[in-house]
Amino acid sequence: MPNSRRGSKPSDEELMEAYVDGDDEAFRALFERYAPILLRLTRRHLRNDELAEEIVQQTFFRLHGARNDFRPGSKLRPWIMTIAMNLVREHWRRTKRRKMTSIEVDTQAAPEADLMPLELRQRSELLHVALEKLPTSQREVVELHWFQERPYAEVAQIIGTSEGAVRVRAHRAYATLKQLLVLEIRGDE
Amino acid sequence: MTSVENTEEDGLAERLRELDAVDTYARSERMDHLFTELKAECQKSDRTVAGFLRSRSTMARRLIVLSVFSALAIAGWYLFPIVGDHARTTQWTTSLVTFCALLLVAMIMVTRPVHLPELPRWQSLCLICAAIGATVLAAFWPYPEAQAATHDHGGGVMAGACMGVGILLGIPVYALLRLVDRGNAFGSLVAAAAAGLAGNFILKAHCSVPGTSHELLGHASVAVLFVLGLGLVHRWMPSR
Repeated sequence: MPNSRRGSKPSDEELMEAYVDGDDEAFRALFERYAPILLRLTRRHLRNDELAEEIVQQTFFRLHGARNDFRPGSKLRPWIMTIAMNLVREHWRRTKRRKMTSIEVDTQAAPEADLMPLELRQRSELLHVALEKLPTSQREVVELHWFQERPYAEVAQIIGTSEGAVRVRAHRAYATLKQLLVLEIRGDE
Repeated sequence: MTSVENTEEDGLAERLRELDAVDTYARSERMDHLFTELKAECQKSDRTVAGFLRSRSTMARRLIVLSVFSALAIAGWYLFPIVGDHARTTQWTTSLVTFCALLLVAMIMVTRPVHLPELPRWQSLCLICAAIGATVLAAFWPYPEAQAATHDHGGGVMAGACMGVGILLGIPVYALLRLVDRGNAFGSLVAAAAAGLAGNFILKAHCSVPGTSHELLGHASVAVLFVLGLGLVHRWMPSR
């Protein structure tokens, strides 16, 4: 596994370059770094643990197949996020998304839910229900900008649209979520 | 967006992350299991022809496809008799050039890198419609009746023969495009359209049976059959 020039943890790009050069340990390090992030992302979109795990595996499988396209100087994170988002969209297209009612909360999305304090569980469910109500295009932006903390420019690159469009979607999503979560937010203040 | 809105959104973002706390529970054992499965799948894929081709760089994959297409076209052009000089009209040339151009676009779409946002569906659907439309339109510029060979071609039998030849010629094109496709949406249908175009290219270049009805039944049907047939197959048996 490569060591960073500064002696600290190797960057994503250094790991990817090492993997392209045949270092399998670098692939494992990338998986350990990104799989939890992707799992959170896909679980929030799919509400199904098994499916989310499959999509995470497929994301890395595609990354493995595309490794020879990686060029020094490229950023790896947008690559991985774009592959994952493409797979999620492809899944929705194939399955014709089933609309869930606000009452129908899929506890599969949180397998350790039984171990969680009741209040935290309810909050999590509330968030999932609120996110479910957003259109997919806005949910993608919320996911990448708010949860993954990616800048607007990078979100635009990942989902393949302009930065302006991303800002508009974020603003609309923010307004909707604020409305949906207003009771919960007020209740906690 | 104003700075006030940004601050407000930052507050909400933080709140959302708090609410999402359920996801912070680590699951390292499960991760190990997932990675082991993934590694096995990667190794299995690397041992296949498709895995080898798909892991080439995009430039290399495009060059491979172009080389194979060129080799097939050159071999077909010189090994089999093409239509006579009298039938090489502007319309004939236009048809061939259009088929080639659409084939090239299909190849670029199929070999699109997966780390780029996927193309909108309408673009793939447009290409598929354009491919079928081009083969149908080309049928209205048929081999000139007056220049046709004098012997009886047997009408429907020849249309069936052309269809069979077109499908046979399209299969390797379809197979090659599927082998280099890393999993683009609609990749299968675009490859099917490309196969139909390739079949029509060869038929248009070599077939000297006159008549629009022959070209509709024997040539254009190849593209339609590829798209409809493979579309149905993939609907019943969706690939991973």
